Amino acid sequence: MLKDFAKRIGYDDPLEIYLSRIESLLLSDYKITKRAIAILLLQEDNEMLDRIKDKEKERAEEILKVIQEAKAHYSHPLSYIISLRRQKETNRISQAVMSFKKAGKVSFSERLSKIMMNPLTGGPILLAVLYYGLYKFVGTFGAGVLVDFLEDKVFGNYVNPFVTNLVSAAIPLKIIQDLLAGEYGVITLGVRYAFAIILPIVATFFFAFAIVEDTGYLPRLAMLVDQLFKKIGLSGRAVIPLVLGFGCDTMATMVTRTLPTKRERIIATLLLALAIPCSAQMGVILALLEGRPLGLIIWLGVIFLVFLIAGYLASKIMPGELPTFYMEIPPLRLPQFSNIFRKTASRLNWYFWEILPLFLFASVLIWLGQITGIFNFLVKILEYPIGWIGLPPQAAIAFLFGFFRRDYGAAGLYDLKKAGLLSGNQLIISCITITLFLPCIAQLLMNVKERGLRMGIAISIFILFFSFSIGYAVNLILTLLNLQL
Amino acid sequence: MRKIAIVGSPNVGKSVMFNNLTGSYATVSNYPGTTVEVLRGKARIGSEEFEVIDTPGMYSFLPITEEERVSRAIILDEQPCVILHIIDAKNLERMLPLTLQFLEAGLLVILVLNIIDEVRDLGINIDVLHLEKELNIPVVETVSTTGEGMDILKGRIEEHVKRFC
Amino acid sequence: MLSEQAEEILEALWIQTEEQGAKPLDLGASRDEPAVEELVNLGFIRRDLGHIHLLEKGKSHAAGCVRRHRLAERLLVDVFDIKKRIIDEVSCKFEHLLHKGLEDNVCTLLGHPKSCPHGKSIPPGKCCSLKKDKRLLKIIAPLSELRAKDRGQISYLQAKDKTQMHKLIAIGALPGVSITLMQRFPSCVFKIGQSQFAVDKELASAIYVRLTR
Repeated sequence: MLKDFAKRIGYDDPLEIYLSRIESLLLSDYKITKRAIAILLLQEDNEMLDRIKDKEKERAEEILKVIQEAKAHYSHPLSYIISLRRQKETNRISQAVMSFKKAGKVSFSERLSKIMMNPLTGGPILLAVLYYGLYKFVGTFGAGVLVDFLEDKVFGNYVNPFVTNLVSAAIPLKIIQDLLAGEYGVITLGVRYAFAIILPIVATFFFAFAIVEDTGYLPRLAMLVDQLFKKIGLSGRAVIPLVLGFGCDTMATMVTRTLPTKRERIIATLLLALAIPCSAQMGVILALLEGRPLGLIIWLGVIFLVFLIAGYLASKIMPGELPTFYMEIPPLRLPQFSNIFRKTASRLNWYFWEILPLFLFASVLIWLGQITGIFNFLVKILEYPIGWIGLPPQAAIAFLFGFFRRDYGAAGLYDLKKAGLLSGNQLIISCITITLFLPCIAQLLMNVKERGLRMGIAISIFILFFSFSIGYAVNLILTLLNLQL
Repeated sequence: MRKIAIVGSPNVGKSVMFNNLTGSYATVSNYPGTTVEVLRGKARIGSEEFEVIDTPGMYSFLPITEEERVSRAIILDEQPCVILHIIDAKNLERMLPLTLQFLEAGLLVILVLNIIDEVRDLGINIDVLHLEKELNIPVVETVSTTGEGMDILKGRIEEHVKRFC
Repeated sequence: MLSEQAEEILEALWIQTEEQGAKPLDLGASRDEPAVEELVNLGFIRRDLGHIHLLEKGKSHAAGCVRRHRLAERLLVDVFDIKKRIIDEVSCKFEHLLHKGLEDNVCTLLGHPKSCPHGKSIPPGKCCSLKKDKRLLKIIAPLSELRAKDRGQISYLQAKDKTQMHKLIAIGALPGVSITLMQRFPSCVFKIGQSQFAVDKELASAIYVRLTR
């Protein structure tokens, strides 16, 4: 079904001769024209080279010789010569078919684009996007208004009492009752968390992110941060998965695939696991630090510093080529609401099918850990490092749960705060440590899936030590400075 | 089932085209590299059902990134009976070299001049008939986000399949 | 002024001892060349037992010869598009014409290239360190050194390796294409046709642009 009559461009003389010599040596069937294969071979396409070595056997040697001869004939790489010829033909065609009716004037979107890419005005725009998109819309509206409504009104007043009554009436066994409707029950905690806390936060984040994505703001942001990102071993392109990480680190880890080199993918995965709090976790941390603006600033500052330091160290340690940055800057476009809704829905759909089962599974594990006593044992072990960073032993359980689900961990701290067990300093240290602490179980599994078992585990072990070291350091500094926050 | 592969440079609207043809949803954004995996769906065009394949963006038939390798493998190994080469019409000069490479390879290509609305806004006119004559393949103008030109595209696909497959 | 043969000897000597770090040059057949005598008299080289050594006084002259040879190659390949086969032959003659002022003018014209078409580095001249002040003289310059709103046509690409070259080809930054630099900080943003690209300084410095004013 090859089509032979379509437009085909000719190259200059010596190149055509080399092409036909290679073509005459290609005897197998390649499903595409031999001419195309020959052109790819001349451009040192390694994948094609392997194919012909496999298919043409002894003739492959001969073909390689022709390629060498052709390369020696030109002072530029052949891919360059060939691309030039194609571009020349393309230019001829474009000029023949395109006509310009009027000179385009600088449009509003073009002016806006310039403002976004100018470092002087781009910074404030970024802050505005973060403030309104992340803080106001996701934080205040999603994590505040919507969560309050769903959690207090819907679950607190209706679902939980209903389920608790139903379960205690229908199932006599206390253990099973606990599993379904206890303090950490699958329904009273697992489902409540999923629908009353995570859903509104994650949904508002994905919604805001979709708007930002569809306008074309992200490539402009990438261009602004590229130089900074180079210092931490990444290119500006990495800004997309990293920003998505503020919604869901697990999804963002999957998106690191768009990064061009393995080195960048590993560094981005590490930073996502360490220093990018997901929206669910951030929601609870904002609640924890409510009314403590200084605490919030210290938390932000330390996390940002850790992000830079960890990235810097990783880029020094990791071998491999340095990243290059090139990215097309698409025109700014007005987002289509239908696409934003569909995209948000499709991401939420993914989130709930991929993450929710793991969360329910985590609830079951927590339940199992409790009835078997394993948890008590692990909590006892964790109490030591918790003590070193100056936290009360009760915080250990929050950290253990934090591994299973980041938001559980933060929520555990919330309970401690309510009970008045945490001082201001302890609150800040615990917020910092739990933000940095191991990723949730879903992210751990994704790290292993995307980066391999060894790298996944290595990242986790590094984070375990690093997060507590930072907690320890912050505690030490606060104590030495004799600061009581 | 016969296959239709949607190919082209990053950020030209391949995934929107996929969504339009199949009625399913592939994530769409305004930046290059949104699609990292090959997506498959079904589309009924005329009386026939096709498997439609959405591929990650490729700048050239000579791959440099992993995604480009994946996209090329689809074209080489799955032998789609129609290659829909989607291009950002306002960048004809940058996008046509890939079309020329597909034609060089003897592939059955339909060239889709997408985002044609932005071309009009820029005050540019593209002579589609002339372009068809130059390349000797079907050329269709579309605005995938609004669905403009989709009927014509489907008609051309049907015609094309009858003639060559 | 040195004879052509003397320049060739200095060049070969410099490449062997300064660039490759190898042993001094074996004189071999050219033992009785008058050019060797000429160089010895000038105090550029020292001769012993069939070998010649480059002396401190001759080093800058030798580097200048190499520089002229490689600049000639760049000029012939990038501007005149001469085939690789004959480039050695032509550039060997050409380099001797590139004296004093002319050499720096060619270097400036080419945007102070850092390497010859074979990838070997070109010893920098005085004009290369002065280039910031002399930018008005510049005709061809790397994109990374243009000012915002500068326009021109891509003249040639000087990629550091194959991958970088492919990246540039992929985004359509090919010789002959019109290009406008829109912004240079924090990354270079340029426009080709109707599309805009952001690239880092490293990639931008591989694109050499012939400015239009």
